[in-house]
Amino acid sequence: MGSGDIITPLVMGILLGGLYALIALGLSMVFGVMRLINLAHGDLVILGSYGGYALMTLLGLDPIVGLVISIPLMFLLGFAIQKYLMGRAFGISSEAPLIIAFGISLVLQNANQILWTPLSRALNTSYSNLSFSIGLRQFPLTYLLDFTAGIIVMLALRAFLIHTYLGKAITAASQDKKAAQLMGINTKRVYGYAFAIAMISAAIAGVFLGMTFPFTPTSGVSFLTIAFGTVIIGGLGSMLGTFIGGIILGIVQTLGGYFFGPASQMLIVYVIVLVVLAIRPQGLFGR
Amino acid sequence: MSDKPLLRITNIDVFHGTFQALWDVSVEIIRGETLALIGANTSGKTTLLDTISGLLHPAKGTIEFEGKDIAWLDPYQIVELGITQVPEGRRIFPDMSVLDNLLIGSYNGSARSKKSQNLEKVYQHFPRLQERRKQIAKTLSGGEQQMLAIGRGLMADPKLMLIDEMSLGLAPIVIDELFKALEQIKERGITILFVEQNVRRTLKEADRAYILETGRVALSGTATELCEEDRVKKAYFGVEVCGV
Amino acid sequence: MKLKATRSKLTLIPLAALILVLALLPLIGAPQSWLLYAFLFFIYLAMANMWNLLAGYSGLISLCQPAFLGLAGYTLAIGTWVGLPWWAGLLGGATVAALFALLISVPVFRLSGIYFAIGTLVVPEALRMVFYLWRPVGGQMQGAGAGYMIKGTGGVSTHLIYWLAFVLGIGSIFLMKRVLKSKLGLGLAAIRDNERTAASCGVSVFKLKLYTFIIAALVTGLSGAVYYLYQGYIEPSATFNVRWTMTLLLATVIGGIRTEEGPFIGTIVVVFLYFLLARYAGYSLLIQGMILIGLMLLSPQGIVGMLRRSRYYRYLAQCVST
Repeated sequence: MGSGDIITPLVMGILLGGLYALIALGLSMVFGVMRLINLAHGDLVILGSYGGYALMTLLGLDPIVGLVISIPLMFLLGFAIQKYLMGRAFGISSEAPLIIAFGISLVLQNANQILWTPLSRALNTSYSNLSFSIGLRQFPLTYLLDFTAGIIVMLALRAFLIHTYLGKAITAASQDKKAAQLMGINTKRVYGYAFAIAMISAAIAGVFLGMTFPFTPTSGVSFLTIAFGTVIIGGLGSMLGTFIGGIILGIVQTLGGYFFGPASQMLIVYVIVLVVLAIRPQGLFGR
Repeated sequence: MSDKPLLRITNIDVFHGTFQALWDVSVEIIRGETLALIGANTSGKTTLLDTISGLLHPAKGTIEFEGKDIAWLDPYQIVELGITQVPEGRRIFPDMSVLDNLLIGSYNGSARSKKSQNLEKVYQHFPRLQERRKQIAKTLSGGEQQMLAIGRGLMADPKLMLIDEMSLGLAPIVIDELFKALEQIKERGITILFVEQNVRRTLKEADRAYILETGRVALSGTATELCEEDRVKKAYFGVEVCGV
Repeated sequence: MKLKATRSKLTLIPLAALILVLALLPLIGAPQSWLLYAFLFFIYLAMANMWNLLAGYSGLISLCQPAFLGLAGYTLAIGTWVGLPWWAGLLGGATVAALFALLISVPVFRLSGIYFAIGTLVVPEALRMVFYLWRPVGGQMQGAGAGYMIKGTGGVSTHLIYWLAFVLGIGSIFLMKRVLKSKLGLGLAAIRDNERTAASCGVSVFKLKLYTFIIAALVTGLSGAVYYLYQGYIEPSATFNVRWTMTLLLATVIGGIRTEEGPFIGTIVVVFLYFLLARYAGYSLLIQGMILIGLMLLSPQGIVGMLRRSRYYRYLAQCVST
């Protein structure tokens, strides 16, 4: 450890941060629009990973190509979850949506457990073990793919929110629900789309996560915590903020590992998250 | 068109949970007129507007717009039919640009195709909005925000416009400017129902008015009739000030 | 009146008999598995009651209960390694849990509503890492085994542990009644009605919430320590695990959040399903998840909410409460 080369962990942290951002974007969007803390987000991402695994083992599809199939399915699932479960829960009590999200998480984890056994799986492809080099330093190619996917999804979501009518309606509904209704926006439908779009990003995140790390049916919880950390640092609801939050979290983790040993890297991440929460609950870049 | 009302509200009761906010209220709006709704803070004016807009639904009674029952429609469907509300406190989208706020106004299907014409008209009413179209809405002054809120409502291409407490907290000069704009809007053939606490001003600007007291219609009539009414003089002016 | 009083006493008899049977369960030769399920019932009941106190009555959706029970468990384990008697470990564990609640209240009480939930969710995750890395006593850990045996409990009979759990479970019911009737409970009710009005009437919202947080941590910690006394072994990943939170949440919400009898009924359902589907652990939780979602949407007050619509239940509840 710590042979003096700080560049390697720094680059690794930035690339890893792209993956964290990718995982957190959907969570951030759902929170920003509906003020819903989706405790099932980690499990929905892992569902995306299993989707990629299923398409790979059953149809022999490359996991990235498999997204063509899994994205529409996740979109529909997201729309249905919002329409039939979350949308109703909002009318019940303030804790109801949180509890429903917990229920969804429980169902997904155990359905995955029954379908795929608790064994650890991975999305291994022909390019999984390739690497690229910057100078003399070697980095795994999957990390670069993660980072690229993170940037693309973040920019796409941002462009969608800023430039399309539906995106503007989603933004408007997140800023003032009553005013949005009075402007003729069907907020129920808009919320459905927002959740469904968040699920697209979860499907993509699941695939890239599965190509980078092994996963089990219960991995969702640890990635949920990472996604929360990312969103808390970046500020809930802002796509660019979430991306920066992911990068910061990635760097904190790898540099933490570099200075204090790999075993303590996640502990440092959690401590940073708690400190940020205590000092600036709205996030470093939040309003 | 004859004298068939544009909007006819018949004997509605409206509840907030278990609290009854409106009791047997009936209101008619004739096409092309400017109607004022007057009353103290908790008299149920905003409740009435929110019920017309579909945010609340009556427990009893009917609401007809152009002969169609709209009491149980959702807010977005009501906007589509041509009723738009400029809510109390303006409620512009604070972190969006002025232009985006206006564009959101034309979200409903029938208004979207006419958005460029309507945008032009809004800029004619409020040239300042055109100057500031790229500015973030929350950085506007109070009067400009109210202009934006009205402009955003116009973007929905309405037949009937409900305006709640437009002049609240604004300087007299700004209020004059806004009422001038309302006159132009009226000349375009848009029917206006507005809610105010400033009774003098209201009766000067409106053709007719309804006075609400604790959720019931206490009085109604043309503005001149109401000015003559002793009860109005006593309750709202102290002395006679109408016609000034 | 007199007739009614005697009738209400009569309905209490089966309840008292049930409690007596549960108390004597180890002595009347009940099968070992029954004892285990009754033991789990009492432990979960005490913890679920505390979660109901936090989430239901105080508006604190705490997702860090595993931190309290885990810290208490570790205090017990480490205590036995340095030669403390087991009962000192139990009390020490509860104290450590309460002190920890006081400590983390500094950051998490700055957060409100959903932010409080996220903040508390991170705490057990961080503690799990701490106990993977930190080994205060004993030799170095080997491989992934970061756990501890709980030593020197040879003299503690399983019957005694069962009775400890019994006292905790039944005691938590009376504690809840006591708390809700006390000034603390009245203050909480006022806050629930309207936090601002309560604050302006001189109710210290912060203090009341802190008290409940500490009481809940204390009882949850004590229950956790008794659980680990029975288990005889503790390790970080199963201890600081969101599964615990899920169990407490399930028991409370299925039974009926913000109702006094909710956790009791919910815990019966949770333990019963656990027992029924013991061989298919995955299916049990899957079904519980579905029940949770369905109940929340159809009857937000859980099973109690449904029961309360029946007249007989209302009569029974009235008898028990008098």
